Amino acid sequence: MKRYLSHPFWQGAIVIVVSYVAFEWVIGYVLPVIGVASAPVPSSVILQYMLTVLVGIVLYMSADEARWKSFKKPIHETMVASDRKTLRGILMVALPVLIGWLAYQNVRPSYAAPATLRSVHPAPPNQLTFRGETIELTGLENPLHEEGSIEEHLAVGKRIYVRNCVPCHGDLLDGQGHYAPAFNPVPADFTSSGNLPQLTESYVFWRIVKGGPGLPREGTPWDSAMPAWETILEQDEIWATILYLYDQTGFTPRTWEEEGEGGHE
Amino acid sequence: MMALRRRAFGLVAPGGLAILAVLAIAAVSAAPPLAAQEDAVAAGKVVYDRWCAECHGETGQGDGSAAASMLPRPRDFTQALYQIRTTGSGQLPTDADIRFAIENGLPGTTMPGWPNLSDGEIDDLIVYLKSFSRFFAQGPAPEPLDFGSDPGGGPAAIEAGAAAYLTMLCEECHGLSGRGDGTSAPTLEDWRGLPIRAADLTEAWVLNGGSSVEDMHTRMLTGLDGTPMPSAIDAMNSGVVSPDEVWQLAHYLASMGPREMPPLREVIRVGRAEGGLPADGGEEAWAGVEAFYFPMSGQVVQLPRNFAPTVDGLWVQGLHDGTDMALRVQWNDPSNSPDSNWDEWQDKITAALDLDGAEPIALDSAGAPTVRPPDAVLLQFPFEPPEGTDRPYFLMGDAREPVYLWTWDSEAGVGAGRGRGLDSVEPLAEDPVTGEATWEEGRWTLYLRRPIEIESDGLDFAEGTPMPIAFQAWDGSSAEVGKRSSVSTWYYILLEPPASSTVVVTPLLAMLLTGAFGLVLVRRAQDRRRDG
Amino acid sequence: MRSHFWNRSAALLGVVAMAACGGGGGSSEGAADDAGEAAPAAAAVDPASVGTISGMANFGGMVPTMEAIDMSAEADCAAGYGADGPMAQNVLVSDGGLANVFVYLSEGVSGAPAASGAAALDQVNCRYTPHVLGVQSGQDIEISNSDNLLHNINATPTENRGFNISQPRAGITSTQRFQVAEVMVPVRCDVHGWMQAYIGVVDHPYFAVTGPDGSYSIANVPAGDYTMTAWHEEFGTMTASVTVTAGGTAAASFDYNGEMAGADVPMGDALVLEHGTNRIRVERTQ
Repeated sequence: MKRYLSHPFWQGAIVIVVSYVAFEWVIGYVLPVIGVASAPVPSSVILQYMLTVLVGIVLYMSADEARWKSFKKPIHETMVASDRKTLRGILMVALPVLIGWLAYQNVRPSYAAPATLRSVHPAPPNQLTFRGETIELTGLENPLHEEGSIEEHLAVGKRIYVRNCVPCHGDLLDGQGHYAPAFNPVPADFTSSGNLPQLTESYVFWRIVKGGPGLPREGTPWDSAMPAWETILEQDEIWATILYLYDQTGFTPRTWEEEGEGGHE
Repeated sequence: MMALRRRAFGLVAPGGLAILAVLAIAAVSAAPPLAAQEDAVAAGKVVYDRWCAECHGETGQGDGSAAASMLPRPRDFTQALYQIRTTGSGQLPTDADIRFAIENGLPGTTMPGWPNLSDGEIDDLIVYLKSFSRFFAQGPAPEPLDFGSDPGGGPAAIEAGAAAYLTMLCEECHGLSGRGDGTSAPTLEDWRGLPIRAADLTEAWVLNGGSSVEDMHTRMLTGLDGTPMPSAIDAMNSGVVSPDEVWQLAHYLASMGPREMPPLREVIRVGRAEGGLPADGGEEAWAGVEAFYFPMSGQVVQLPRNFAPTVDGLWVQGLHDGTDMALRVQWNDPSNSPDSNWDEWQDKITAALDLDGAEPIALDSAGAPTVRPPDAVLLQFPFEPPEGTDRPYFLMGDAREPVYLWTWDSEAGVGAGRGRGLDSVEPLAEDPVTGEATWEEGRWTLYLRRPIEIESDGLDFAEGTPMPIAFQAWDGSSAEVGKRSSVSTWYYILLEPPASSTVVVTPLLAMLLTGAFGLVLVRRAQDRRRDG
Repeated sequence: MRSHFWNRSAALLGVVAMAACGGGGGSSEGAADDAGEAAPAAAAVDPASVGTISGMANFGGMVPTMEAIDMSAEADCAAGYGADGPMAQNVLVSDGGLANVFVYLSEGVSGAPAASGAAALDQVNCRYTPHVLGVQSGQDIEISNSDNLLHNINATPTENRGFNISQPRAGITSTQRFQVAEVMVPVRCDVHGWMQAYIGVVDHPYFAVTGPDGSYSIANVPAGDYTMTAWHEEFGTMTASVTVTAGGTAAASFDYNGEMAGADVPMGDALVLEHGTNRIRVERTQ
């Protein structure tokens, strides 16, 4: 085992296998399970990543003469050694078949939807206009922390949420409202640690005020069903709803003191 | 009391301690109902106020702040009328029945299941819910009915169940095909006098009480209190149907459509038609063509919103022959609007549902609606194949980027148009799209046909390239007009390309080249070694 | 908020207790029974000490015209009516007498025999027979179907538990009971939206429904002073005082007229949909 680990050829092979597992499975399926927002990587992107890894390995191996030699050795041995005739034969058949299969995957008719790379939390603008009024987002705090009674704000926020947000984001705030199955992308899950705790209240304010149509291109504004709530709600109602979101889920928002910027990923 | 006990303890030997302990425990266990009950009510109120009150109301009357945008309305706990029970018609539910509804929710309504609540929280909540109604204080918990045992399903049972469906005259409300389009459907009201749909039995995943055979059997024998759905128990006890036949009927109901919502597939595959395109939407020509289901939601993005839409999904099938393409779109709608039989329904919906600022349809002096809107469906595409993933805005585009529409309504028929936002359609008279629709037993079947590429303004499809597609639908008899519609987000439609030789040639070529290259490499390496 | 609920419970308990004292545990099951065990048994009625109440529900003025019922969906039912076809039954007047008025002793009854026998509600040619029915709390109500088609009997009381039973063919009988007094319990068929009946539940046998000529008669009423209430589905309620003497016949009549149309008609807790405002309001009418 140790012999393999210290041999450059097998090091390279292990790096390739581990990278593939990471790109294909860990990013797409393991991270969401442990609560980190993520999504499966499209196969074309995986191919790009794997080529990069391969080039990196070759560069690293060839940088040192001795390492390059021992890296090549098993390959060369397999091509020439008489005691590896069987392995050579198998590889001479298996490699062309593999390449042929990969080629088939590329040319066969595909009925999959084109991959969409969507930024879930795109960078926010520095300011926005609310029905014509310009509001600076940088450094913006929820004004309701400083005025009136928090219980009353929460009651307003709850009323606004249940009346307006429940059909998609759900009574449990888990993005599983009764209309959620009809939407793609699916409504945000506020109980996920990848959403509210990663964001400042001003970021949430921007997303509510401007909704889907206000997203930058990387947020695919054409298919987000999130309304631009400035057309329906008042500013204070939106701020109260934000208070309710954090209160009901038990999360705390990111603050401007901790972070220089709004919580974008 | 304490003084008495202390003195007693002083008098008796330590062995008496056990007796005292037993006495104390007996005293406590005789007492708990009140104290424990009060604790549970208080704890249940905390859960209720946090999660339930906004819909069901602080006083449990089903009149929370969001109630007006919900049809059916949230349950009124003060009347103790529970739809989902295992007890007889009009009887109170068992605690297990209430728990079932809390844990599973009522599919097809705005009531979700509550996996976030612990068993203990649900216990407390049940105590609190029951405290809203005087009826629970009056008697012991009722016993569930005896439901017998399922004699088993299978084709013969389903056939017998289909006969029982007619014997029990289920079609009076639910319609012959179970889509909720029976003769009595337009007049149905719940106990509050609000309009209520006869369940669409072909969409079992939105049945309030669950979609299993057992669920359906239970609902038939208990009825759904507060709704027009009666208990069949007296009919069964009178021998109109046997207990086995009621089970068979349940098997038949469960066979009327998929139990679960069909899985979402994003790409409608339009296959190549062997032997010509179907000339209409008839069943024969389309049998065996893969159908794709797309769930739809109320349009709740722009004012005025539609919080209780009729159309909750549609099925799409497609075929093409390299020149023309044909689509068949089917969706369930119990009314063939406009239909004066649904006048009262339309007015009741107008009165009962929060129209979110939409102008209600007025009545004339005779009490008939001044407008009877048609049913309508619209298919939406971009004008050009998209670059990258960019598309027009999914709600019929916007001023910047319009969408290309195939439109149909039950009065104007099929046409094409350019959409620049909801409610903004400019007809494209030159467009060659044609088609027709038929309504039968609560279902519309729309047939559409168009050349794949056209001369006039509109999308040219390209075989093998996925094109974005989205849908919208309206039920006129439920006063759905303008922005008050059902909508979907973007999906894709893909015309299957002709079988191509590249699929075979390219991999073969790749294999040959790799094999040859490998041979050359090995040969050269061996030669070099021999030379060296 | 909660006090409202407890008040209602208390009020109801009062009703239950009254029913129990008056009826002497006439029911065999349900709520009234619990309280009934503690109540003294009712005194037997002495034939020498009872009298009769009789009278009329009179109707003056213009008789509103009843709407025709469109029964075309059920040809078998429609065939049961004459050339004019079926008409609504809200207001039936004949020679100045108003039919289907429920009259009952609402005050002064201090003991009553237990309910005996069963009341009958039939469904004939897609209408309820009778249109208005009186029963004693705890009394069996035998509901039968003379039409060979689907009816559902959907009773929606607010003080009692309701029921909703399907009878998909002729010959089925369902037996139901209401345990506490409630005037009135609406009954409807959801398959046939025009079918409507009312059941008046009182905790003694001293009630009647006026006949086609508007007359009624209540026999075996113990001598005493009483208040009578008359209920009509369109014209609401009216009361009268009456004194019954042993062996005598007391008269109590009620004068209705067309101007009373639209009066408050008690029906338990009525839930009223406010048209156009999208709100339900609970209206206590009793």
